[in-house]
Amino acid sequence: MSRSVPSTAAQPSPWSRYWCSSYGSLNKMLLVVSRMMGSASPKPAGEVLLAARNFVNEASFDIKKCALHRLEEGPPVSAVLTREEGLKYYKIMQTVRRMELKADQLYKQKVIRGFCHLYDGQEACCVGIEAAINPSDHVITAYRAHGFTYARGLSVREILAELTGRRGGCAKGKGGSMHMYTKNFYGGNGIVGAQVPVGAGIALACKYKSTDEICFTLYGDGAANQGQIFETYNMAALWKLPCVFVCENNRYGMGTSTERAAASTDYYRRGDFIPGIKVDGMDVLCVREATKFVASYARSGKGPILMELQTYRYHGHSMSDPGVSYRSREEIKEVRNKSDPIMLHKNRMVNSKLASIEELKEIDIEVRKEIEDAAQFATADPEPPLEELGYHVYSGQISFDVRGVNQWIKYKSVC
Amino acid sequence: MAAAAAAVAVASTSRWLRVRAGVVEAARLRCRLGGARLGRLFLLPSAAGDGAQRRHVAHFTFHPDPENRQYGQTQKMNLFQSITSALDNSLAKDPTAVIFGEDVAFGGVFRCTVGLRDKYGKDRVFNTPLCEQGIVGFGIGIAVNGATAIAEIQFADYIFPAFDQIVNEAAKYRYRSGDLFNCGGLTIRAPWGCVGHGALYHSQCPEAFFAHCPGIKIVVPRSPFQAKGLLLSCIEDKNPCIFFEPKILYRAAVEQVPVEPYYIPLSQAEVLQEGSDVTLVAWGTQVHVIREVASMAQEKLGVSCEVIDLKTILPWDIETVCKSVAKTGRLMISHEAPLTGGFASEISSTVQEECFLNLEAPISRVCGYDTPFPHIFETFYIPDKWKCYDALRKMINY
Repeated sequence: MSRSVPSTAAQPSPWSRYWCSSYGSLNKMLLVVSRMMGSASPKPAGEVLLAARNFVNEASFDIKKCALHRLEEGPPVSAVLTREEGLKYYKIMQTVRRMELKADQLYKQKVIRGFCHLYDGQEACCVGIEAAINPSDHVITAYRAHGFTYARGLSVREILAELTGRRGGCAKGKGGSMHMYTKNFYGGNGIVGAQVPVGAGIALACKYKSTDEICFTLYGDGAANQGQIFETYNMAALWKLPCVFVCENNRYGMGTSTERAAASTDYYRRGDFIPGIKVDGMDVLCVREATKFVASYARSGKGPILMELQTYRYHGHSMSDPGVSYRSREEIKEVRNKSDPIMLHKNRMVNSKLASIEELKEIDIEVRKEIEDAAQFATADPEPPLEELGYHVYSGQISFDVRGVNQWIKYKSVC
Repeated sequence: MAAAAAAVAVASTSRWLRVRAGVVEAARLRCRLGGARLGRLFLLPSAAGDGAQRRHVAHFTFHPDPENRQYGQTQKMNLFQSITSALDNSLAKDPTAVIFGEDVAFGGVFRCTVGLRDKYGKDRVFNTPLCEQGIVGFGIGIAVNGATAIAEIQFADYIFPAFDQIVNEAAKYRYRSGDLFNCGGLTIRAPWGCVGHGALYHSQCPEAFFAHCPGIKIVVPRSPFQAKGLLLSCIEDKNPCIFFEPKILYRAAVEQVPVEPYYIPLSQAEVLQEGSDVTLVAWGTQVHVIREVASMAQEKLGVSCEVIDLKTILPWDIETVCKSVAKTGRLMISHEAPLTGGFASEISSTVQEECFLNLEAPISRVCGYDTPFPHIFETFYIPDKWKCYDALRKMINY
């Protein structure tokens, strides 16, 4: 992934933030330990230093081959992961996971209200995609957006504050869970499937402005049956738009499994005349390599391409859905034990000596602290001022007096 | 004497400001504590009430109607159970009736179709994929071919992809074919209205969009007893009907509802309470709000209000409303949907045509603001009883 120059967005991307925090602390730790090594007895910290010196800088992994539709060749079957990248992905995935679990907790405490759709289990998708694209590329997704919002650069504080509806939130508390936006990230869309034609439009703008940028338009397996998706496939292919359609297939469209909703569950083939690949969405490296492949396809001007990510969500569709009336607890447990993206990534890192368990544990602790702070902020921040109710309906509009019965009658308190 | 008048003015102003302050406090406390949970207490907030009472208050209080024994044995049901009962009766009586929609098979997201698939089989109660336009188009096809189609749209906010099918196909079928074909067997059900935390896409009231379309009927019940009777009438009715169910009442409204089928006629408004000074018109959840406003007005102002539940939005019962306004001379209409272009404007326009010389004050519309339904600002957006009360006072003092 190319290192980005900080964009004009207020928040630095999680990538650069990671640099400042984790590596800084690792360096400090090494410094302390080296001083201690100078003294007589080797302390346990010395073992860590020894182990640190034994890390490899990069390792190569075999990844699953992707099924192809209308393509001669697909993404490579092996990927190289550097230590730095590995730690980065781990931290971001862990942050998304913990953030979603914290949102679950806050929802149960009724601090967050409304509808909240959690992304845990699907972290590899947002991290893998973000790892392979530039910050100048565009992403638009549906309502299960918290993971992408973080990956695209918003801080946990802003996300949690938006969930609780406070003024520190990214949409000033006016949007809530389903409507989070930042630079080159267009949300966050509540109506199923509505974001796909919008994504094609963004891609058209990229092509028109000749900026070599592409647009990743995400939707789910439920949305794949919406009419507007097919309308968009047609337009994108006709005009060869640099649009990558990504179907995050988490096997359930709310309470309906894919077999019961779709005549063809090969979502990567549903683009028909649009080439497609099917990717293991629980493996962050698989997602990354596949994204690199589709991104270069889209950038080459050959037109749109479809990527199906086979993934899974642990929570129900939303917080009002327990998630077990249409699937068994055993199924969820099995996925957690066998294909959890964070666990797979961690095992890879540790087994190939890219990192140690202790190091990853330290990252966990840091992440936990960050989330706690953010939750504190989100709970304590005040709500947006009442005038915001009337702002932003139209451009440049003056708000109205919210106290009155009728918005055009000025409220008079004198009887 | 000037001092006395000033004292009265100050006293009433300060009383009003205290009331206002109480409302603001209540609302702020509600926001902070996360608002009402369905199914919990429905205590009225007193103007200077204490924090414990204000904690779990919805913006209305549901008053069940007295038990109606004329249709046989009754059972305690809430709104979603009364809907299930109505659907059960329909499927039992009409062998061509089918129910379909997103996730209806396991019972639906609001449990309106629980048990029906087991009872009537998967050929009659089945899930559709996620495609509202497809669901309604498909329903029109079933109805045109002579069967009874009961389609569910998961939330009224999602009905817009189906707008074309409803307005251009369903509403015009009979007209354009010269009565050769019709899709009268189609009934579309959708949860409707604010729910306390729905935000932009789970709280909308789109009846006004469809009211502009001749050829369909739109019905909104206020309670379980009404819901079952009206839904059965919609299913029987030989015109395509849209039945909006106030989702905040699904568990909150509990009443004695007859087990056997019964029919409440469409296009007939109901006068819930007779009065002589002001007519209040609303539908769905808002009926309960204006009922409370009526009792507040009686208590604080000595004003006698006539409360009307419109029930059917299209075609609406012009006669009942106009007769009432001719008697009282004042009209207030209230709905959650935004003010501009809301159905209150249609009622207002017709009433001023028919009852111009009877009107003592301008017709008052207490509605939502012209903004999308807000996320965090819901308490301020909805036309609660204080806003209605304020409008009523202005009308009385006009």
